[in-house]
Amino acid sequence: MATVTNWIDHLNKPAEEVAGAIYPGAGSSEGLLVILAIIIWIGWHVLTAKSESDELERLARKRHGPNDHKSNITDW
Amino acid sequence: MTDQLGALTTIFTEFYYWITVVLMFLIHVGFCMYEVGASRYKHHQHTLMKNTMLIPLVTVTWFLFGWWIYWAFPTGPGIAPSIMNESTALITDETLFSAMWQVPTSDIMAVNLGDHINGVFWAAFLLFSWTAASIVSGAIIERITTFAFGILAIAIGSVFWTIDAAWGWHFDGWMLKILGYHDAYASGVIHAIAGGFALGVLMVLGPRIGKFSSSGEPRNIGPRNPWLVTIGLFLIYTGFWGFYAACNIPIFDLGPEYGMEGISYWTATNIYVTPTTLSGITFNFLMSLSGGLLAGYWIAKGDPFWTYSSGLAGIICASAGNDLYHPIQSMIIGMIGVVLSYKLHYFVERKFKIDDAVGAVAVHGYAGFIGLVICGFVLNGYPSSGYSVGAMWDGTTYASINPLGMFLGAIIMFFVLGLIPGYIIAKVLHGMGKLRIPREAEIAGLDYEMMETAKSDEKAVASATR
Repeated sequence: MATVTNWIDHLNKPAEEVAGAIYPGAGSSEGLLVILAIIIWIGWHVLTAKSESDELERLARKRHGPNDHKSNITDW
Repeated sequence: MTDQLGALTTIFTEFYYWITVVLMFLIHVGFCMYEVGASRYKHHQHTLMKNTMLIPLVTVTWFLFGWWIYWAFPTGPGIAPSIMNESTALITDETLFSAMWQVPTSDIMAVNLGDHINGVFWAAFLLFSWTAASIVSGAIIERITTFAFGILAIAIGSVFWTIDAAWGWHFDGWMLKILGYHDAYASGVIHAIAGGFALGVLMVLGPRIGKFSSSGEPRNIGPRNPWLVTIGLFLIYTGFWGFYAACNIPIFDLGPEYGMEGISYWTATNIYVTPTTLSGITFNFLMSLSGGLLAGYWIAKGDPFWTYSSGLAGIICASAGNDLYHPIQSMIIGMIGVVLSYKLHYFVERKFKIDDAVGAVAVHGYAGFIGLVICGFVLNGYPSSGYSVGAMWDGTTYASINPLGMFLGAIIMFFVLGLIPGYIIAKVLHGMGKLRIPREAEIAGLDYEMMETAKSDEKAVASATR
């Protein structure tokens, strides 16, 4: 996976070879990483949208008044 | 980088943009403080989280496709040819500034010893994206779902503002060539579009409960914590300074760039690669801030909330031409923008029952729009680019800055890419039942459950003996 294993050897290469990507898996892993990012991104939206809907429905069912929250103000 | 001068120029430019990104982060800190200060106690924590989460949402999408749009769309597509390949298609060929290098699988979208600019430039634009989304965030507090805001933030932050930047904030943009559009520090490309987008969302979202009386009279819902609002706005001013720096190329040789044989002219340039000076824009930034504060203090009768916001509106209004204005021109333009925006805010509020909780549509949208229109008159006749000067509508060369082109540019920013998309997306979210929180939750307060849990924790701790 390592793209560079010896800096002296790497920097001694011709300039056009030195000037390139040095992250792990350069040239072979980018497509997979993008797919992973998209899955994480969509998954996050699905999970948080559901938990937000549940929370709002629960809160709405209790029908608190506009000043009820004042009894919950803490004096930590 | 094989010689010392080349290395110095490259590393200086890399470091310059890196610093601007750090400074611009303060804009977001300021927006978070400002919004929390403006919201009521029972909504504080959700308000803060809503604005905070736009950071990762916009960043990831900016990495995946937002940055690509900026480099692909300067031609429209199909409106005016690129000066790089003379085609009106999307710029996805193998030219130096093509979008093909700006896809997430590209090896310059990462640590690459052959590139010292892409990441910091990407980040500078990304911070502009956060700002665009954050402007919308303030207007809609206390009644939108975080899910809906996330979708809207991605739309304005990673799609619509980047299209307008490609069209009007790119050296190859079609709006420069056909309209003579000029917007050096983003009166339109950030502020007018985000203000317009926010207005479109507000038209669908509706006002907070209690904002209007049964007879339709607006009620003031003042900031819960004016000191947090004050610090927030001072931080936005500070970050805005970094934004001004980020809109420049700090050191560039324009002689060879413009094809002038044997001539070397090193200077800072604006985003359009035409010359300006960091010194000159410092005059103008501070004078337009001052003009805004002076006018805001006067018209709002010393109200701190509007006075601070007016300082920002003053800068925003003068920003389109602050690379070229005289400082006193900047100050006067800032003052005009503030007076008109303030009046428009209350007119729209009363007439159309629009509840813009922080005045974002006025400070950003109206001030940005007005700034573009004024710029068309004050800078009438200046070239919109250094590459080639031609006639309006020609398209193959660059039109000069002119009043009609700037007015049309303002319409495109505020309405075409701002208000209309914001309205349509909000309508879709509303149709899905995902836009607004339930009425009962709004009355109780979004933080009700968190506060209830904290109270019971407090009681448990207070009664504990060990």
